[in-house]
Amino acid sequence: MTPIVFDKVDKEYFIHYQKTLKELAQAILNRGKIREKIHALKNISLTINKGETIGIIGRNGAGKSTMLKLIAGVSQPTRGELSVNGRVSPLIELGSGFHPELTGRENIFLNGVILGLTEKEVKDSYKEIVTFSELNDTFIHMPVKQYSSGMFMRLAFSVAIHSKPEILLVDEILAVGDTNFQEKCLRKMEEFKKKGITIIFVSHSMQMIQHFCPRVVYLKNGEVQYDGETKKGVELYSKES
Amino acid sequence: MIPYWHLIKHITTREIKARYKQSFLGLFWIILNPLFQMLILSFVFSHVVRFETLGVPYSVFLFVGLLPWIFFETSISASTNALVENASLIKQVYFPREILIFSTVFAKMFDFFLASAILFIFLFVLNIDMRVMVFVIIPILLIQFLFTFGLSLLLSSLNLFYRDVQFLFTLVLKLWFYVTPIIYPIDIFPANLRWLFALNPMAYFIQTYRGILLEQQLPQFSSFVGNLIGTLILLFISYTIFKKLESSFADAV
Repeated sequence: MTPIVFDKVDKEYFIHYQKTLKELAQAILNRGKIREKIHALKNISLTINKGETIGIIGRNGAGKSTMLKLIAGVSQPTRGELSVNGRVSPLIELGSGFHPELTGRENIFLNGVILGLTEKEVKDSYKEIVTFSELNDTFIHMPVKQYSSGMFMRLAFSVAIHSKPEILLVDEILAVGDTNFQEKCLRKMEEFKKKGITIIFVSHSMQMIQHFCPRVVYLKNGEVQYDGETKKGVELYSKES
Repeated sequence: MIPYWHLIKHITTREIKARYKQSFLGLFWIILNPLFQMLILSFVFSHVVRFETLGVPYSVFLFVGLLPWIFFETSISASTNALVENASLIKQVYFPREILIFSTVFAKMFDFFLASAILFIFLFVLNIDMRVMVFVIIPILLIQFLFTFGLSLLLSSLNLFYRDVQFLFTLVLKLWFYVTPIIYPIDIFPANLRWLFALNPMAYFIQTYRGILLEQQLPQFSSFVGNLIGTLILLFISYTIFKKLESSFADAV
């Protein structure tokens, strides 16, 4: 089964400017804007094969994050068909399921389960998760609110990559931890690549994209401007921006 | 929702643990809070107004009504916010969102059970014969759970689009408390007005708990079925609306 197929996918959503009824009433009285339609993705047709590492590039607001959200299944296409086969692991909004009052250990279990593992699967990879996160025994039993932001991200990242992904969604991976840890993450990515895991890679760093992805999709105003070999795609993007 | 049992379990534990870890007295607050509320109310109402209270001390009469009310009230206010609070989770990974609401209500039910321990000590001390009657409570409690869950589904999804819902409902709950026979018995109202309480499911639950525990009275079959059907209709409508809005949760938060 092909992991990801976009077939003429359109995504529109509304931005509501008012979050309360008072604001809404004011807006209606003043004939202000109540909501605005955002046409985030336009007629996207795209097939991503198993084991492919594909880079998504484009300027802010081009639709990259919307695309990841659709693949993650948290948002639905407005028109068209999208099929996603395989367990998706999102390395986006890292640590969003973490609760500050719970310990590192408790959060590992909570988040593993949120990411679709069974309790037993989390138990089995618990040691690996802790080792990868480089947190010592004292910290792992402390509430995560006492972690530094680096430690927090390391743990969140570690849980996410140990959730047995078949499709990995990566958004600006280099934002995690110090240089050492970043290198470790990159090695892990290479490892996933070798294992034949499909990776969707969003980044503004052309260097990273060229290093990792043989294929690149360049999004511009919600449309696919280019889809193909990385070098040409990056050149086109750099020229246009 | 069944394949998500692990998820329900862990999110529920998160709700429970996160709360008691923040405070020195921890879990005891779950018991102390309703107990103090009861003491304050019963101090006021046994001195200011006097009600006929089924032959038990007013404090016990009050407590039987107050505990299920607190369960309802805390569930509603917590779940109205549940989706907004978990916004970044909703944007990250998919799982059926009703799990967040279900777990919130479930965690409050845990509190309710814990706080009820005190009530049962009271009943025991007063030598009130409970035996089998305790088990009659279970189906009523189940309906109350479903009723609360249904209303929570509706409010949480609406609150995601307009935050007024949470403020509005704080007020509604205040009013609802007084139109429910919690601090007073239903018979202070003239007989020809009592039918009004039939419109209020919370009044039904509390009346029935009191009947079962304090008067050894089995619930009436007709009103039981009526409330069950009403609750299922509410649950069905709320669930349908919730599921319809669910796909745009991530776009809206």
